[in-house]
Amino acid sequence: MEATPTEHKLALRPGDFESLSEALDYAARGETGANFYNGKGQLESVLPYAVLRDEAVEIARRLIGLNLPRGSRIALVAETCPDFLRFFYGCQYAAMVPVPLPASIHLGGHKSYVAQLRRLLLNCRAEVAIAPSMFLSFLTEAADGLPLSFVGTPERFAEMPAARGPIRPSGPDELAYLQYTSGSTRFPRGVMITQRTVMSNLASIIRYGVRVRPDDRSMSWLPYYHDMGLVGLVLSPMASQVTVDYLKTRDFGMRPRLWLALISQNRATVSFGPPFGYELCAQRLREETAGQYDLRSWRLAGVGAETIRPEPLSRFAEILAPSGFDPKAFSACYGMAECSLAVSFSPLGQGIQLDLVQAEAMAQSQEAAAASADDDAAKSLVKCGEPLPGYEIEVRDGEGHPMPERRVGTLYVRGPSVMSGYFGEETLTRDVLSTEGWLNTGDLAYVVDGSIVITGRQKDLIIINGRNIWPQDLEYIAESQPEVRTGDASAFSVTAPNGEDKAVLVIECRESSAAKRNELVGRIQALIRQDLGVDCFIELVARNTLPRTTSGKLSRSGAKNDFLQRVADGKTEQPGDSDDFYLLRRKAG
Amino acid sequence: MPDYNELLQQVVELIRPLAPPERPVAADTDLVADLEFDSLKVMSLVEQVEEHFDISVPLNILPDIRTVKEFTVQLQRLIEGSAP
Repeated sequence: MEATPTEHKLALRPGDFESLSEALDYAARGETGANFYNGKGQLESVLPYAVLRDEAVEIARRLIGLNLPRGSRIALVAETCPDFLRFFYGCQYAAMVPVPLPASIHLGGHKSYVAQLRRLLLNCRAEVAIAPSMFLSFLTEAADGLPLSFVGTPERFAEMPAARGPIRPSGPDELAYLQYTSGSTRFPRGVMITQRTVMSNLASIIRYGVRVRPDDRSMSWLPYYHDMGLVGLVLSPMASQVTVDYLKTRDFGMRPRLWLALISQNRATVSFGPPFGYELCAQRLREETAGQYDLRSWRLAGVGAETIRPEPLSRFAEILAPSGFDPKAFSACYGMAECSLAVSFSPLGQGIQLDLVQAEAMAQSQEAAAASADDDAAKSLVKCGEPLPGYEIEVRDGEGHPMPERRVGTLYVRGPSVMSGYFGEETLTRDVLSTEGWLNTGDLAYVVDGSIVITGRQKDLIIINGRNIWPQDLEYIAESQPEVRTGDASAFSVTAPNGEDKAVLVIECRESSAAKRNELVGRIQALIRQDLGVDCFIELVARNTLPRTTSGKLSRSGAKNDFLQRVADGKTEQPGDSDDFYLLRRKAG
Repeated sequence: MPDYNELLQQVVELIRPLAPPERPVAADTDLVADLEFDSLKVMSLVEQVEEHFDISVPLNILPDIRTVKEFTVQLQRLIEGSAP
């Protein structure tokens, strides 16, 4: 078996197509494609775009054979494997809408994974659901009793009858895919992206973000059910006829050094990851082996998907300097599934660009005043670059008025790759997307020299290790315990002194026995780990401690401020994890 | 076929360095509730187990494992399955 080549003869077309199927038709004329590596770093399967196109058309014929209306949702458990690509593009040729479902499961998480799949199948009203055999039992259980036309593996689907006659692929104004924005989905938000929308973003990413060259080669371990993994490292290489090498996310999680080994071996030039991916990789490197790679080819090491802290990236660059890693290869990116993917890239070849601000002034007055380099109290924030062409940005104050540069407020964006809305969720859509096309990103930011700098999040979303977690999911787990009443739990994230985000749950609880309180905390923490795979601080407080609005709703930002105040005053009682609390206290105090 | 008790002992030894210090690790210890394993720790453990026993652990067994014993029983099956 031989991987698809980097060098090829087909002339580079930078994503200038009307639809994904048109882009694949063109890529299929060359020799490039996708390669899949196993957990030992060995090449396991090769899928040239030419073969992918033919196989996708075959699948499209079988999808059409089901006699479903155009635009029907086809749910795909998005394991990193050739079948996902075949079915994703099969949907494009059949004018169906693929819906990537998470392929992320946790220890003891059987029930919650099945429940998550079921909620997503229901939310998108799927007609067909496909999973590789490894995930089939979960999917079948999740789809039990739902009116789907087909639930099964790719192998079983191949036995379905194929329709004859011409095929009419999905057109510019039809949906290209639905993307669920958070890994946990008590409250699913399925982002609707049309062909025109995604093609616009792909063309921008290819031309102005990545600035694709004919001799580029991509490498990715990012999950296919995340926007950066799907749009950035599946669709974008294809739409620019670039070969891409894949490693399963779980294999990266187990052996992060494979990322470096595969880049070295294949002379890859473009690879992206969230900051924690770089951090995990650096942690697993020993000095004596950190020089054994050849990373000189890696011209673009993209960083995004969560708040970017410069320190872990510096460590990564430092330890890999003997392998020829160039810190100038770093580019900080900003984007979200609601914008297809990318809003901005920091300029290529310049590395992480920092803006030094006076931390105290920013906390007090929402003004990001420049600090001098010798100011010990200065805070370094990462510049995520200017918005891509066609994008407008506004930083607005609490009343919705646009603010000048260096003022912190809510970031609004408007541009050609903004979603049509959340599938079946008109109210949620209206909350974030105005009729004039302005999207409330929910992020706090300021602008300096035209470049976006993210300072925090206004929306309640919690991001841990690149995974999006909605506070409602944490609160729901707490409220499902007999000791906790509905509406008596509030979840939010706090930033620890090392810059990591930590999830926190504050719960009102009547229980007075210390043993029972400890048991409750342990139980909820275990459920959270099993459902969401993350750790969470839990603080039990007396009744009527959590701040509420006049209408009785909990205020998460209020709960967070009160919590930080208690931490600063040394008034929290935290069973376990006292080190972390100590650190928080030092920071707050 | 590997002896269960022997295997359990080896699994416990692999788990111990990943568990919070001083925390007892036994057959009925719950990996998530008692040892606070998050997804990164689980991946570390699986990696060590794969290296140690030279097997490949399929991801889909994880959701039905809670205790050290359940993990060991699954490993025993995998090791038997991979024996020549």
